[in-house]
Amino acid sequence: MIVWLILGAAVMGFLRRVDLYDAFSEGAKEGLKSAVRIIPGLAAILTALRILQASGLMEALQRLLVPLAEALGLPGGAAPLLLIRPLSGSASLAVLEDILKRFGPDSVTGLAASAMMGSGETVLYTCAVYLSAAGIRRTRYVIPVSLAGWLAGCAVVGLFFR
Amino acid sequence: MSAALFLMIVCGVIYAACTGRIAAVEQAVLEAGQEAARTAWRLAGGFAFFGGVIGILEKAGAVRGLVRMIRRPLRALFGRDTGQEALEAISLNLSANMLGLGNAATPMGMRAARLLSAEGGGQPSAALCLLLVINATSVQLMPTGVIALRSAAGSAMPAAILWPSLIASAASTGVGVLLCKLLERGGR
Repeated sequence: MIVWLILGAAVMGFLRRVDLYDAFSEGAKEGLKSAVRIIPGLAAILTALRILQASGLMEALQRLLVPLAEALGLPGGAAPLLLIRPLSGSASLAVLEDILKRFGPDSVTGLAASAMMGSGETVLYTCAVYLSAAGIRRTRYVIPVSLAGWLAGCAVVGLFFR
Repeated sequence: MSAALFLMIVCGVIYAACTGRIAAVEQAVLEAGQEAARTAWRLAGGFAFFGGVIGILEKAGAVRGLVRMIRRPLRALFGRDTGQEALEAISLNLSANMLGLGNAATPMGMRAARLLSAEGGGQPSAALCLLLVINATSVQLMPTGVIALRSAAGSAMPAAILWPSLIASAASTGVGVLLCKLLERGGR
């Protein structure tokens, strides 16, 4: 798909007489600036997250989440994702991999966990990156609302795989 | 944001002190900053590439065409007085997200956030909150990463989660948008 995207952009730019090299490098410069701008927010989140993981508290919390998972109609084995998916993309991939290995990818637990992974986002990271880009520190109702959305999505997954 | 970080750090450190894992936490903290820089470095190439492609599409007028197609629903969601530039960034952010092109979506989302924040003062504007919630509840049409992981784990039907995950993510975004609309009317 990416190949077609760049081909389309090149053809279109050529037809409209855009200076391709100029336009590309200008856009690439903005992209690079964005990469630098995500570092402060990312560092703050990763620090807090790694503390939570290294202290063992994350694991303890994930065990506590089994009743919540079951209340949402999800298999208990998928409970760790409830907490980790909104917090970290890479950590939740590792958790999913572990679940798939333990329960099997086509078991109810494996299916539910995969669907949860596919229907969620990293709430904290997204908020931190976009807000710091906007130079705003307060989040108003964004985090609770996003988490409510995440739980609603999980409940829908629970309708499919229980 | 600060409250969430505060809670995570304080609870984590206290728990570590109680379970004797302070040394492990110290190590983790030292690595976290480096990890952030490494992640940004890894993303930089993709950001630059997609930034460049989008730069060409913008100059060629393709982005204006995209916005024209979805201007009505966007204005209805984000408010009538959302400027053209912000609309362009929002539509690029949302369409890249749907296609699963995170490396294209993030820089555009950051640009949109910058443009929307001008309206809000110290607090994020209602439109910015909405943009955040939509991005934080996932609108991806094709969870390619998960499907790849499933097939690597030996699944006989790696794509079986496609519809459930699509419907679930639509529900999560729907609930998020609905709650936003309710809360923004209630003031702050």
